[in-house]
Amino acid sequence: MISRLRFIICILACLAMCSASAQYYNGERTFDGEHHNEVSLSLTTGKNIITGPCIGNTVHYKHYFNDHWSVDGGANLQYTKELYGIKAKGEYHIKVKAFHIFASAEMLYNRYFKYKTNEIDGNISVRFERGYWDITLGETLINYTIGESGYTELPTLTFGAHATLRPRTNNWNVGLLFRNYDDFYYENWNINWGLDFYYKFSAQWKMFGEFNIRPSGSMSQLASKYETTGKVGLIYRWK
Amino acid sequence: MEITMKKSILYSLMATALLAASGLFSSCEKVSPQGVLMANTSVDDRVKQSLIYYTYHGDNLDWFLVDSIEEYSFLVGSDSHITFDPGRLAEMAEIGLENGDLFYCHLGDLADTKPEYYYNTKAALYNATRLWRNKYLEPLIDEYHKAEDGMFYDKRIKRDTRNFARAWYDWELPFYPVVGNHDITHNGWSLFCDQFKTSFYEFTVQVGDKYDRFIFLDSANGTLGDFQTDEIDNNALLNDDKPIRNTFTFTHTNIFRPSMNEFASTYCREELYYLLNKLSEWGTSIAFWGHVHAWDDRMFNGVRHITMPSMNFKDHPNGGDDLIVRVTVYKDDREPKVERVGLYCKERSKKELEELGYYVTTK
Repeated sequence: MISRLRFIICILACLAMCSASAQYYNGERTFDGEHHNEVSLSLTTGKNIITGPCIGNTVHYKHYFNDHWSVDGGANLQYTKELYGIKAKGEYHIKVKAFHIFASAEMLYNRYFKYKTNEIDGNISVRFERGYWDITLGETLINYTIGESGYTELPTLTFGAHATLRPRTNNWNVGLLFRNYDDFYYENWNINWGLDFYYKFSAQWKMFGEFNIRPSGSMSQLASKYETTGKVGLIYRWK
Repeated sequence: MEITMKKSILYSLMATALLAASGLFSSCEKVSPQGVLMANTSVDDRVKQSLIYYTYHGDNLDWFLVDSIEEYSFLVGSDSHITFDPGRLAEMAEIGLENGDLFYCHLGDLADTKPEYYYNTKAALYNATRLWRNKYLEPLIDEYHKAEDGMFYDKRIKRDTRNFARAWYDWELPFYPVVGNHDITHNGWSLFCDQFKTSFYEFTVQVGDKYDRFIFLDSANGTLGDFQTDEIDNNALLNDDKPIRNTFTFTHTNIFRPSMNEFASTYCREELYYLLNKLSEWGTSIAFWGHVHAWDDRMFNGVRHITMPSMNFKDHPNGGDDLIVRVTVYKDDREPKVERVGLYCKERSKKELEELGYYVTTK
């Protein structure tokens, strides 16, 4: 039954991709029954074809009310890109048999200072999580405004797939990611891929990072490298 | 029961493969996996090659001069995906000749990438060139010989004919394409550039003492790439110093999505906003986009954006009243007029094409 379910979820994910999708990944995300608060700080560096070398910081705060409900807020400061963003997210977690299912709603605001562009993204997603992998499916609405003109893109499917070498409860892990979003942006058909990792020093401290390739153009247009970034950060959890 | 690591990897690979497959079929029809996985050129390489050509031959593109007449017009078509039958392209050329349109623009995916398809495309353009020369150049020969210093101006073809002494065969149909994603798969770029030389260029039409500027950008990979954006920022195109009246831009990959049936823009966020700002900075009157085979017409930040339907047989086997557009540009400050124009010819059989001298294969 479970393997049939796994198969169906894989097929659903892929079918959804065929018609047209968010979550950032910091390693273990499930409430442990003890730590209600976590804050993470990370440093991102890399190269973007439009803005050149990029460097920035992101900061996140997450509060778990209980095993089901959590809220999350974040800020992104990309200095050389002159991109500044804030986001807020609410998430509901439920366990169905062996699956952890997370339903989330997120609002994201980005100011692309260099391009005089304001962008507001709204996303709803469901993440299916097992010990070694997770799949995210959702829908995103992206609105941008330049000058007095605004445009809301038609809904875009949000997709993420992530597999890890070790079970999610392990104190270290390395994973492979494949998704059309990152912490502070949602894309259409530009599908990121890369590696991520974490190492848990203690119940309070964890180090995480990722190497992310963001291509330009969909794969059907012979996508070429657009942005390559590396990220390292620390998470601190407390009661 | 925990899923094993082996299974996890298997599922991930499965998802990856299916995602890749979904990407393969995500834009224009008829995408082959080989073409998707093995691009022969990158946008940077194509733009470098184009700029080298443009540096030496850019002046030759810049030969239009509109003096005493009140208006001129040009035709724009997109996504012709020519296979054996280049009939729709020939029809577009005939319409232009009949109406006296000054030149033709094409938004990419001109032919699907097989040598015989390009041979037939080239043959159709050569036929159109022959008709164009007969209409516009032959009447000028006597006039040219009468001119004392070999310099004269003829408003019938609205060109500066000071270079008329150039070899007859140098005069070709004024057909200006951009490269599309289907033009770069397999060995597509070599076939395309053999005929059209460049994917990143511009020319101007002089109207009185001002100029209308026509800019052609290479977005066949779904991105302009860093070299092209750098060159744009460094004013690599030659006409930045001229007094510009209207600017028209042409590129393959769309920004705006006409409906849920079409795929969304593939420009990454920063690039999308860069491009929209650049179009406004250029004072663009109309930006033309292709790729999604559907019509969309909207104003954004002072720029009119027109996304074009395809003109190929597969999408429109019986033709249609609105497959290409004619843009009329006035001498005064009126907004350029856009009217949709029909193409109606039907796809011919291989036998008919063979009889007409086109190259037809069974494979």
